Amino acid sequence: MTQANNDPRARQPRFRGLEAGHRACQGCGEALAARLVTESAGPDVILTNATGCLEVFTTPWPQSAWRVPWLHSLFENSAAIASGVEAALKAQGRRSKVIAMGGDGGTFDIGFQALSGMLERMHNVLYVCYDNEAYMNTGIQRSGSTPHAAMTTTSPPGKERMGKRHLKKDLLSIIAAHHIPYAASASVAYPQDLRRKVRRAMEIDGPTFLLVHSPCPLGWGHDGSETIQVARLAVQTGLFPLVELERGEVASVMPLRQKVPVTEYLKLQGRFRHLFVDSDHRAREEREHLQALADYNMERYGLFGDGDDPFDADGADTVRRGGPARA
Amino acid sequence: MPITMNRGAFAHAGSSLAFKTGTWRSAKPVHVHATAPCHGACPAGEDQQAWLALLQEGKPQKAWEQLVTTNPLPAITGRVCPHPCESACNRGHLDQPIAIHGIERWLGDEAIRNNWSYPRRGGEIRAERVAIVGAGPAGLSAAYHLTQRKYNVVLFDSLPEPGGLLRSAIPPTRLPRAVIDAEIGRLLRTGIEFRPRTALGRDVTLDELRSEFDAVFLGVGAGKSRHWDVDGAVPADLHEGLALLREWLAVGALPKPNAVVIHGGGNTAVDLARVMRRAGIRDVHVVTASGLPGPDTDADDVLNVVPRELEQAIEEGVQFHPHRTINRLIMRGSKVVGVEMVRLKKLPDGSGRKSRVSFEGTETVLHVDMVVPAIGEVVDATGLEYILRQRDFLSVDMFGRIGGQPGLFAGGDARDRLKAYPNGTVSAAIGDGRRAAEGIDALLSRRDPVEENRPPLPYASLNLSYYESSPRIDLPTLPLEQRNDSAEIEGGPNSAQAMAEAQRCFSCGNCLACDNCWTLCPDNAVLKTSEMAKDGSHYLFDYEYCKGCGLCAKECPCGFISMQAEE
Amino acid sequence: MLEALEGSAAIARAVARCRPGVVAAYPITPQTHIVENISKLVADGKLQTELVSVESEFSAASVALGASAAGSRAYTASSSQGILLMTEVLFNISGMRLPVVLTCANRAIGAPINIWNDHSDSMAVRDCGWIQLHCADNQEAIDTSIQAFRIAEATELPVMVCMDGFILTHTLEPLEIPDQDVVDRYLPPFRFDRMLDPKNPLSLGTLVGPEYFSETRHLAHQALMAATSTIVDTDREWQTLTGRSAGGLLTVEGPENAKIGVLAMGSVVSTFREALDTLKTRKKAKLINLRAFRPLPDQALREACAGLSDLVVVDRALSPGFGGILGGEIKAALSGMAKMPRIHNVAIGLGGRDVPLEMWPRLLDVPTEDGGFRILDLEPAKLGEVP
Repeated sequence: MTQANNDPRARQPRFRGLEAGHRACQGCGEALAARLVTESAGPDVILTNATGCLEVFTTPWPQSAWRVPWLHSLFENSAAIASGVEAALKAQGRRSKVIAMGGDGGTFDIGFQALSGMLERMHNVLYVCYDNEAYMNTGIQRSGSTPHAAMTTTSPPGKERMGKRHLKKDLLSIIAAHHIPYAASASVAYPQDLRRKVRRAMEIDGPTFLLVHSPCPLGWGHDGSETIQVARLAVQTGLFPLVELERGEVASVMPLRQKVPVTEYLKLQGRFRHLFVDSDHRAREEREHLQALADYNMERYGLFGDGDDPFDADGADTVRRGGPARA
Repeated sequence: MPITMNRGAFAHAGSSLAFKTGTWRSAKPVHVHATAPCHGACPAGEDQQAWLALLQEGKPQKAWEQLVTTNPLPAITGRVCPHPCESACNRGHLDQPIAIHGIERWLGDEAIRNNWSYPRRGGEIRAERVAIVGAGPAGLSAAYHLTQRKYNVVLFDSLPEPGGLLRSAIPPTRLPRAVIDAEIGRLLRTGIEFRPRTALGRDVTLDELRSEFDAVFLGVGAGKSRHWDVDGAVPADLHEGLALLREWLAVGALPKPNAVVIHGGGNTAVDLARVMRRAGIRDVHVVTASGLPGPDTDADDVLNVVPRELEQAIEEGVQFHPHRTINRLIMRGSKVVGVEMVRLKKLPDGSGRKSRVSFEGTETVLHVDMVVPAIGEVVDATGLEYILRQRDFLSVDMFGRIGGQPGLFAGGDARDRLKAYPNGTVSAAIGDGRRAAEGIDALLSRRDPVEENRPPLPYASLNLSYYESSPRIDLPTLPLEQRNDSAEIEGGPNSAQAMAEAQRCFSCGNCLACDNCWTLCPDNAVLKTSEMAKDGSHYLFDYEYCKGCGLCAKECPCGFISMQAEE
Repeated sequence: MLEALEGSAAIARAVARCRPGVVAAYPITPQTHIVENISKLVADGKLQTELVSVESEFSAASVALGASAAGSRAYTASSSQGILLMTEVLFNISGMRLPVVLTCANRAIGAPINIWNDHSDSMAVRDCGWIQLHCADNQEAIDTSIQAFRIAEATELPVMVCMDGFILTHTLEPLEIPDQDVVDRYLPPFRFDRMLDPKNPLSLGTLVGPEYFSETRHLAHQALMAATSTIVDTDREWQTLTGRSAGGLLTVEGPENAKIGVLAMGSVVSTFREALDTLKTRKKAKLINLRAFRPLPDQALREACAGLSDLVVVDRALSPGFGGILGGEIKAALSGMAKMPRIHNVAIGLGGRDVPLEMWPRLLDVPTEDGGFRILDLEPAKLGEVP
């Protein structure tokens, strides 16, 4: 679809890889993440996409919100079809970058094998996982990425259970064990950091991986306007640390300067509502457990430090009003 | 594959634009250029956020030009204003308020240093002539604003030099004469005819002015001290506070008692107290019914003095006795040898109005050989008798219009209280003059006067996550041992400090082009455009696709975006 | 020039002639030798291709899908469990109209696990929208593999080349691998106008709702039906080029006036051809070699069966609870005939049970026997106690 030359949409100073008119929910974190990723990656890419929210809300035939070549096959094979695309480009001597995308379901669970194989074979593909911590497209069911104690339709709280029993799978450690050149976690609340990590991964000729925390207002039980606030608190409490790994070693982290208790994050979300029932002793236990997990992350990754500015790992992207003078 | 055979085989890039998700909305984001709290609090009506923004862009001259569209005397107000803008400044919720007065002073001084001119305004030259009585801040401001609107202005004053209380009652240690001369000089050079040594009543009558000019503005100040006595008694050699201050400023003469008590809690009392201390008087006491700033003092009960003046006064050795009044003079013959003080507070009575209540049994004695009342002034009725009609002040509306007296306006210390527009300060006088100029212009143009009325910014609409903590600049003060009669005690910031301090401004209620909305919209429904945005921002909402999620409003650091219900 | 080659090796060489851009490899008996041979060709520099050794058949098919979508000629091979594992992807590939070629080395499906030949695997995916061609011998397999790329790219439909595992793949025999220049003349470079390309960005694999799904399926069905003529044409062209036919849609051999017909697919056909040549049988019968199973060539079948009184349909797979799969399909295809032959359906050689020459005369007796579908070479004694 062409746009008139005087249409401001056509003259935005950034690449519109994901166009407007898609059918994501209001305030969708995944849509925002995909938009940020594609605009940082630029037009010379080929995307693959696992089945899930992103695929469904962007491509109801005959409409597509993608402005770059895009391929969707099945739920569990984004990494595998990406391997095929990458091999074909190599065979043809073309240099476009392949970006494989999937949600947490298609990455942590059903697509895990394909991802591992792709990394082992060292395909020059950037894999981006949009982590909204459940199978959202099918109506909010738990995945390997769902955090401990979170409510989903297949891990509802009740007399016998307090939400998801198991821990959030530590995917980054597994990715790290593949010894790939670059893997990182990022968040929609830190868009400049995310963009920088995308560009970093794009430059590398080899397998790279990004885990992008993307809140789902419907699934997490918060208002669409609070998506960034919730994502920010996940990082600031230490529950979703932003780290970079090179060949399996931690190369940098986004440091925190203040201790923010996990309750600040949990209380904003309906999926943790059962953790705030005073009359239930288990609620307190679960809150403490989640705090302990956050503390564990802080220690493990050394999140507290004199590192750079806590709002962005590398330079400001939004407002700077105050703070030390910058060159 | 031929296009006609394509059913589900592929979709074209960007074809989703055919689906207008804007229909999903129940609320839409709009830009609201709210009144920043500093702007809302400024008695002169300055939009501090607007000129701080220009300074943030590295344009000091433009910033000054913005400032002087409202207040023509920033080097003065930056020094003497009690800066309610800073008390209101939202930055105070994060760390410390912006040192607005310091930056304003710096801009004023820069303008003097670099000889900047007031920006020229367009518009037709007006034939009408306006008389302004009183060349104090209210009259100067009215004259300036009317001249900017191309009226012919004649400014009268009874004194030889313009400035009113600026010159006659504020010590040079607070407001150097050179600053007064420079700023008022620039103002008068905009084409105002100044007639000094012309007193109302004595040299010209109000009726003459009203017939010769198309409108008259009275900025005559409050020149008559309130009557003061203690149970009917007054010392034989009573010197009133404002008169002493004026005399000292004019000719340098000052009585030298061993110990003095000044009764009153305003700027006059404190200025005089400091002058007397610096002159070497051993004990200078200030007795006031108001309280000192602190946890036990209500906001409306605090001494009506710029806080740092109070700190400096205490530093200099002035002794304050708050929440007290003088209830007895101790005389030996006709000379005062002491005063008896009693504690009191202003408390609401049965009807809710506050009145003074003394607490019997708390009396103490101060041994002094001079008592100086400084309890405030009222309008000197000379030449205004039939307008004033024995009241203390002139009654006006917000545009300075005196009821029942078409063509007659007033402002500054001469006017009565208005709830929305507290007076008694230089800035308030400047604001009065500005609004009166609008009132006069409206009258002479046969229209209704208007005052900008943007909605206030709710604090909750700021998003502090995007602002970093950073301390307020420290403004230099002359050390105690170096203070004398004439050297300015407070310094201003240097240019680096002023620019750095301006950077701390949140830009409350006005777009600061941070790109948050543009960055964080999942639907590409915020467009960046400098040509097409009409509301002074840099962005447009693409309402065809905006789903009304409210992320932009929530993440706008400065509260510029509000969600409005969709009809 | 004839060379003695193992079937798998020959397929590897044939595929190599077709200059595939990407080959996905995952081992499963009895296909493994194909991918092993391809790997050796790559390692020795005799085949320039991106060989992707994936971690499962699911990924093998997915790699082929992605490669094809990106504009490269893509190939993979599998059998049995692997075919089932990649079933989702097979539907996806045909639904997306991508011209992938796959060799299915036919093998039984567990449980119980069995690595030997029958047609259970390709039969299980007969509805996935692929063209399915069966090969009677290794030369046919070579020729069909090469033709497969041309058919696929002309029809924009994927092609499954079925060859019996072990019986063909692991048999050494004299075979002719066509010269490279012959294949190059026959098979032009792959040009895919929908290919993933930033210069012409398209979204492939979108969601289609009830509004358009029926039309999509209609077009898919039509495309497969129309492929019959392409299958005929490509074989004819090949024959012109090499002198060999790979069997078109089907072939009919044997006495013109025979009233009995035997219809079969795959390697048993070459056994029956040998029997037809060398054995003297009382009864006369025609041998119908069905090469194209999908699309099922109704018209050609009706023509081939015109005048027959009995048709014995030889199944190499069965659908429990229904009976012979091929038998059921043939009955449906011939049901429009004015004079439909009596159809007798038997299954033989399941799970690799040997089909000897003697099976041919046995089959000719079937029309006189009572009974519906049965496993003809069942050994009832084995239903009792195992010694």
